This record gives sequence, structure tokens and C-alpha cells, in this order.
Amino acid sequence: MKILLIEDENELAESIISYLTGNGFVCEWASNSKLAIDKISIYEYDCILLDLMLPDGNGFDILKELKRQNKTEGVIIISAKETLETRIEGFNLGADDYLTKPFHLSELLVRIQALIRRINFKGNNLVAYNEIEIDILSKTVKVKGKKIDLTKKEIDLLLYLIGNENKVLSKSAIAEHLSGDMADMLDNHDFVYAHIKNLKNKLKDAGCSDYIKTVYGLGYKWQND
Amino acid sequence: MTKKLIHKTSKAYLLFTTVLLVITAPAFYFIIQNLYLEDVDEALELHKDEFLKYSVSELKQTEISFWNKYNREIKILENQNIKKETCFYKSYYDSLSQESEPYRELNVPIFIEGKPYTLSVRANIVESEDLIVSISIIFIAILFFLLLGLFLINKRLSYKLWKPFYQTLEKIEAFEIDKNNQPQLGSTDIEEFNRLNYSIEKLIEKNTSIFANQREFVENAAHELQTPLAVFQAKIDTLIQSAEFSEEQYKMLSSLNDSVSRLNRLNKNLLLLSKMENDSYNEKQTINLNEAIEKHFDFFAEQAKSKNLTIKTELKETVAVKSNPVLVETLISNLFLNAIRHNIKDGIIVITLSNQSLTFSNSGQATPLVSDKLFKRFSKSNPSEQGNGLGLAIIMNIVKINGWSIQYNFSNQLHQFKIIFQNGNH
Repeated sequence: MKILLIEDENELAESIISYLTGNGFVCEWASNSKLAIDKISIYEYDCILLDLMLPDGNGFDILKELKRQNKTEGVIIISAKETLETRIEGFNLGADDYLTKPFHLSELLVRIQALIRRINFKGNNLVAYNEIEIDILSKTVKVKGKKIDLTKKEIDLLLYLIGNENKVLSKSAIAEHLSGDMADMLDNHDFVYAHIKNLKNKLKDAGCSDYIKTVYGLGYKWQND
Repeated sequence: MTKKLIHKTSKAYLLFTTVLLVITAPAFYFIIQNLYLEDVDEALELHKDEFLKYSVSELKQTEISFWNKYNREIKILENQNIKKETCFYKSYYDSLSQESEPYRELNVPIFIEGKPYTLSVRANIVESEDLIVSISIIFIAILFFLLLGLFLINKRLSYKLWKPFYQTLEKIEAFEIDKNNQPQLGSTDIEEFNRLNYSIEKLIEKNTSIFANQREFVENAAHELQTPLAVFQAKIDTLIQSAEFSEEQYKMLSSLNDSVSRLNRLNKNLLLLSKMENDSYNEKQTINLNEAIEKHFDFFAEQAKSKNLTIKTELKETVAVKSNPVLVETLISNLFLNAIRHNIKDGIIVITLSNQSLTFSNSGQATPLVSDKLFKRFSKSNPSEQGNGLGLAIIMNIVKINGWSIQYNFSNQLHQFKIIFQNGNH
């Protein structure tokens, strides 16, 4: 999977690249819009991460250029701007998702995965991990071929954990992922523990291996050992 | 107690004229009376002189009774044994008017055909009682017309003179610093008011620019903070992946992580506040409040679980308001969160919605909150709390933008925040 990151902030770009590289992605980086347009014209990407404020232009121009070249890459806008107007303009110009800075890298990763799944959708939308099988469309989860009963939130959490395999996920990152738009309101992340515990128990009851590891004081990690 | 300007000046005029007239009235009375009596005395003297000059030499003793019969005011009396002219007051009963009338009388010793007699010349004088009544009537009439005139002139004049002042006052009253309606006070033909208008305009201009600067600063600061915060967040996310840490290090990372997420929230709330102040949420639509409350109910119910709170909703009727959907959602979320955050374990939250108001009541600390600082930014009743002290400021702002009002009450051990939609726009 190839990703193009268009971002002028070196430090942020470095972190994003290092996080994504570990999870089966090849990440290329363009720090300005000229470089970005050059790369877009030559290569094909599975997903483009686009910052809107670039030193030599507006990220929207890159969206227009993609449209002009009839490119079908998925685009996730990552921007500090968060007005409804910029969101709407972004979506109108063909962006697929919009992530406001600051964000957790784990969140970015699952957004990319979800976008790529949507683009490559071929009749079924399955995520499989060893004995676990998740059907994203019908919202059902099977362990060893047997359906288990999970709530919508638990399925969401499961996808998030699997998507960030081998990564330590802080409680606040999980809390923010689970609460979506309401994340800004949260000042207590205790509810994460309850969700993790329930998911863990349900998987265990279905005979699934214990993949969810507790990282002391910090959060959780999905790991196959 | 404050009164209108015209009352103050009128009162001063009224007091001055009344005092002046009250003091001058008796003086006036005495002066008039003296002048009058002098005049009467002179007349009596004149009558006496006339008598002595023309009548006394021709008068015979036998004619005295005849004289007295036809002269009521100049009579010749038996000798009264007076040595010289005497002047005095005396009352005579008047059979015509059937009352005693005051007289001024002049007695003079005279000789008729060598025999001594007393000449009595008298004049009816005005009763002082009548004089006082007349003077009083005149003075009261003067007082009345004087005051009436003063009042009318004063009123007309002050209306005309103070008109620019009241216009300025009206414009200042309509001025709101957070709205873009800087008043144009204009110029008048009165120098003092021109100075006033000029000073106020300058003051407003300065304040508006300070206000705008401050607002801009908050917005810019919040915006500029987003990128370093994003880097901070990303670096921590990356750092925690790197290797195994010691217990001590995990604790530090965890607290770093909590701090950055707290910073994020704080920053987003500041941005929200400055956006609200910049009128970014002015698009209104009809919003069903019942739906708005139920929309995130599950989310907040989940948040309330860790404190084992009971949430009761009393949504008696379907209520719709005209407002901005983002603002209404933010309002409800903040009220909800506030009720959860400041609650105690096993506490309750009661949400009541009626046509006029929306109330969030929650159990919490056993004493009422200090309400004058409650809605200020960064004011916290307990500094060690998790909240950032912006929640109620945001609530207040949304309430203000919509022209609603908010009340805080503490009763039955419940802290109650009541939003009143008094504008009738629902």
C-alpha cells in the first residue's frame, strides 16, 4: 500500500511516516504543493494525506489537480482548519475524509485503512485476523466461524485495535476514537476500561486468544504472541 | 434614588422661589402698611389744617351740634383735656356693615369763640386682615405663575438643550462591544456635548480595537497552537511505541499523554469561544430540543456510569427553538458534562424540558456555588478539578447569542442550571 503525505511540518511528517511504515504502508512525502503535484502526476497512490496550508499554495488546488487528471486516489485532509465551510469545500472537491489537527496517529491509521477498504470494496467488506472475522457492512463478528454478539462500539473498538496491531494505544487515543465528534468534550477516560474489559471477555468466551494486552498505566495493545 | 435631571433643576427653582416669596411676603406687608398709614396720617393732617384755616374762625358755638350732624369724619368734641395733637387707632362700630371698623384718629385742641374744644379727625383704614389676605392672594398668584412659567421654560429649554445628550445616551445604550455597531454620535451646536461625544467616540474606538485585538489574539493563539500540539501528540504517539519502559517512565508518559489531550481540549474550547464571538454560528434553523437531548444521551449515560449516576429526563412536551444547531448541541453537551463532572458518586441528574425552559439539575457539593464568578472564563470552584473552566463560559456565550437567559439555583441539595427561552422564538 502506497501513501503520499503532503505536509509542510517536518516533525509531524516524520512521526506520521514512522508510524505508518511499521504497519504495511510505504509512505512518500511531499513538503510543498509543487512537489506533491509532480508526484501525483507520475505515481499511483492508494491514499493521499493532504494538509491544506502549504507554503506554496492551498491544498484545495491539489484536489482540483487530482480531479483534472482524473485520479481516483482516496484523499484524507489533515488540517488545523476546522470550520464547517472548509470541510464542505474539501468534500465537494473530492476529499474522502477530514481529520482535524491535532490527532492521534492511531486514528489516522484506522481512517486510512477504512478508506482503502472502501475504495477496494469488492462485494464483501471483511477484515480477518487469525480466528476473527469482521464483516464491516453487516456489523457482525465471527470467532472460529461462530458469530459472537458485540455492540456497535465494541466492533468499532475491535477494528481500531486490530488496525493498530502491535501499537501501544493510549487510553485517551482510544477514548477519542470511540467518542467521535464528542471527543473534545471528554475529560474522563475511565469508560475505556469498561469497553476493553467487555470486549476481552466476549472474545475469551468465544475461545479467542487473548490478543489485548494491557500496557502498564498507559493503555492497551493488540498483539499476537 | 435617582431622578431625572429636570426634576433636580426644577426642585432647586421651586425651593428658591418659595423661600424668597415667603420671606418677602411679610416684609412687603409691613412696607405697604407703613406707606398706607403715613398716607392716612397725612390726609388727617390735611383735613385738620383745612379746618383750622377755613372753618374754625367762622364757626360759632351754637353751630357745633349742627356741624357734627353733617360731618361724620371731622367732629368737634367737648374738651378732652389734651394739650397737643395726638394720633391713635380706635375702633368704631359701624351700624351699616354691622361690625367694628378700625379708624385712625387725630385729636387736636382748638378754641371756638374762646372756648376750648377738641377737634377729632378720623379716617377709616383698611383692616390689616384684609390687607394680609389680599397680599397673600397676590403673592400666591405670582408664585403660581412664576413656577408654572419657570417649569415650562425649563422643560422646553432642557428638552432642547439636552436633546443631543439624550441622543448620545441612546446610542451608547444600544452599543455592544462584541457587535460591530460602533455608534456615530455626530456633532451638535453645544460645545460641552461636542466634547462629550468626541471623548466617548474616542473611548469606544479604543475599547473596540482593544477588544478586537484581544479576540484576534485568542483566535490566532489557539490556531497557532494547533500545529505544535499536533507535533507534540504525534511524537508521544510515536515515543510510546519505541520500546519497553520502566514503570516510572510509563507513568510519566501517561501523564504527558493526559496533559496533551487536556491541552487539545482547552485549545479547541478557546477556538470555539472565539468563533462564537466572531459570529461564526449565525445561521439559524428550527431545532427539536428533545431530539438534541436524546442524540447524545447514550454517550453521556456512558460517561455517567463511572460515577454510577442516575439520569432522569422529564421532557414533558416537544420543544423546538430557532437557533444554530452547532450551538445547541454544544450547549446541551456542556450542560450534560457539567452535571456529570461536578457530581458525586451515586448522584443524580435531572433534565427538565418545558416550553419556556431547559433545566439541568445535579447533585454535587453540599453548598451552593458562588454565582458571581460562575460564568467567567477559567473560573473554577475547585482548582484541582479536571475541567478547564470554560464549560460555563461557553454555555453563557451560547445563551447570550440566542438572547436567552440562564439562572443558577441551589435547592434540595441540587445544583440547578436553568436556560430560559424568553424570546418567544420557539
